Amino acid sequence: MKQFGDGLFAKNPVLVLALGLVPAVAVTTTAMNGLALGILAAVVMLVAAAVNWALIPYVPENAKLAVRVLVLIVLVTFAYGVLVQRNPGLAAGLGIFLPLLAFDELLLRAGDGEKSLPAALLGACGQGLGFALVLVLLGVVREFLGMGTVFGKQIVSGALAPFSLAGTVPGGMVILGLLLAFVNLVSKRGGELHD
Amino acid sequence: MTDGLQILAQTVISSNLILVQGLGLYALTRYTKSVREAAGAGVKTLAGMLIGSILLWLLSPIVPSSPAPQVGFYLLVGLVASLAASKLVMCETSGTDQAVDGALVGLLLLLGRGNTVGFQNVWTAFGAGLGFLLVLVVVATVRRRLDLAPIPKPLRGLPILLITVGLLGMALLGFRF
Repeated sequence: MKQFGDGLFAKNPVLVLALGLVPAVAVTTTAMNGLALGILAAVVMLVAAAVNWALIPYVPENAKLAVRVLVLIVLVTFAYGVLVQRNPGLAAGLGIFLPLLAFDELLLRAGDGEKSLPAALLGACGQGLGFALVLVLLGVVREFLGMGTVFGKQIVSGALAPFSLAGTVPGGMVILGLLLAFVNLVSKRGGELHD
Repeated sequence: MTDGLQILAQTVISSNLILVQGLGLYALTRYTKSVREAAGAGVKTLAGMLIGSILLWLLSPIVPSSPAPQVGFYLLVGLVASLAASKLVMCETSGTDQAVDGALVGLLLLLGRGNTVGFQNVWTAFGAGLGFLLVLVVVATVRRRLDLAPIPKPLRGLPILLITVGLLGMALLGFRF
């Protein structure tokens, strides 16, 4: 259970490990996009962790990275195919960032360093959910600021002028930076760039 | 000629890969501790982008037409290009052996969605790589100044870096080419 909790909070991929920043900044213009990419990433990560756990010990050291990427390419291509067929609108909204998950350091590390299968799966599950949580949070904040809506529902109208910069990538960077600073403030951490 | 310059201006400035498209944040946070390291990582990515776009140009007759296999194809080309680039350009990047490059693959996927073909893609890739290299070097220089600045403790490190880069990006949003 420790692995699961770690992924959610103590080692949250975006807020603590600073992984998966590209999707966190680029995709989360609406809460729905954040939720969809978060869930897809979590599922892909879970499967990748299981495959990597079974496969990686038999791969020579200098080919490990390539094999991890290949596993992710297959999974992500499959996920993209399913999404395009089921919900083309959402696939268009996520754009290149769903396929791009195959090269994300966060997913490449799925199941890394865990000896047993349950531990690897729990770790991936926690990390995936932690990632999805942050994406939804960012999506809600940015959609609210940018359009005054949350999950497409109008929350305020007229009172707050839409702040369209929140929907752009640079605006996303600033909002994510402020969120990270807030997390640092609450957890009394901060100071060094974590890597 | 004007077309070429326009593409260069677009890829370096108004649709800069890092600042405006949000790709390559991993490199931005990891490889900008010194200008030297940033330049090395930038050159490596630039080489990868050139290799990838040339590969796409050569392989254009066999690109699958249905969406999912097409995406898989671009991802594979991206993997080959980034491995080739890391073999070709030897440079010391601290931390992990990050041989695969998210920004490079993102660029290939963007090229795949555009309607341009052939040599124009290689030129676009060159511009995008140049913009990428430029931003890494600029950010590495900015970080040296940030190290000296009196920043409140919670903002130190990644938060202030992201906010700074965001402000740089907002400045570029004003340009239209």
